[in-house]
Amino acid sequence: MAAGPTGGSGGAHAAWVMNLLTDLAFNLLIFFVVCASSAQEQKGKPQQVPSTQSETKQTDTKPQTVEVAMTRTTVSLNGSEVTIPELRTKVAALLANKPKPEDKIVEVKSAKDTPYSVWIRVTGAIEEAGGVVTIQVDVEKDVIVK
Amino acid sequence: MKFKRRKLEIVPPFVSMADIVFNLVLFFLILAKMQDESQIQWEPAQAAGARPVAKAKVSVTVDKDNKVYLNAKQVGLMNLTDLVAKELGDSPPGERTVLLKIHKDTLAATFEDLIAKVSEAGGEMVHVVEEERQ
Repeated sequence: MAAGPTGGSGGAHAAWVMNLLTDLAFNLLIFFVVCASSAQEQKGKPQQVPSTQSETKQTDTKPQTVEVAMTRTTVSLNGSEVTIPELRTKVAALLANKPKPEDKIVEVKSAKDTPYSVWIRVTGAIEEAGGVVTIQVDVEKDVIVK
Repeated sequence: MKFKRRKLEIVPPFVSMADIVFNLVLFFLILAKMQDESQIQWEPAQAAGARPVAKAKVSVTVDKDNKVYLNAKQVGLMNLTDLVAKELGDSPPGERTVLLKIHKDTLAATFEDLIAKVSEAGGEMVHVVEEERQ
């Protein structure tokens, strides 16, 4: 560690201390900038997807669910092709007379090449219309061939 | 002729100590930041209705090369359910948030399975998206 000058002219000493204080102030500034950059908020959309176990229970007494299918370029509601704004309106109309959450299930079927950007917009529109999104996933079963 | 020796008093540089402490703090801050997910390359999808979300214990990221990361560590999709369940532990509902950071061009063949697995693990999913620009 460097020895601090205790003697000498007062002006030189004061200049030396000022340099250190400037350095300290600069370090404080960098510290707060780094803290602020690491504290950036992320934005997101919460989504509740019913688990597959609860879904199998519901299929025993299957209510009439709404089906939305999507591919890379198209979205269809119960077999009819629609745009995303139309989807929101039509799903809201279909679910209007269904007060129970289990009756508001919307089955979402996606083609394997559907990009996530399309999927998130479609499911967002369904949720805005009051629907509960469930995903139809292909289940692999082991079949024993005798 | 006698010359008087000046006494040189050695004093620790107290002002420099604060400087050194802040440099150390900055070093560890930046080191901690480098161990986060900044090296994972992904672009968020755009969606309407995005709200600020608090940091969660668990984040699952799918990058542009379809690689899956759990808290910045690459994992396989097969054992994702167990790993997420382990991370969430016995946390009560409301504290089981899982941030899903899925690259916008990821195909349904990957992300649907991932969403199903996170849901099976009991995670409360939050999709990290950008606010849709109109």
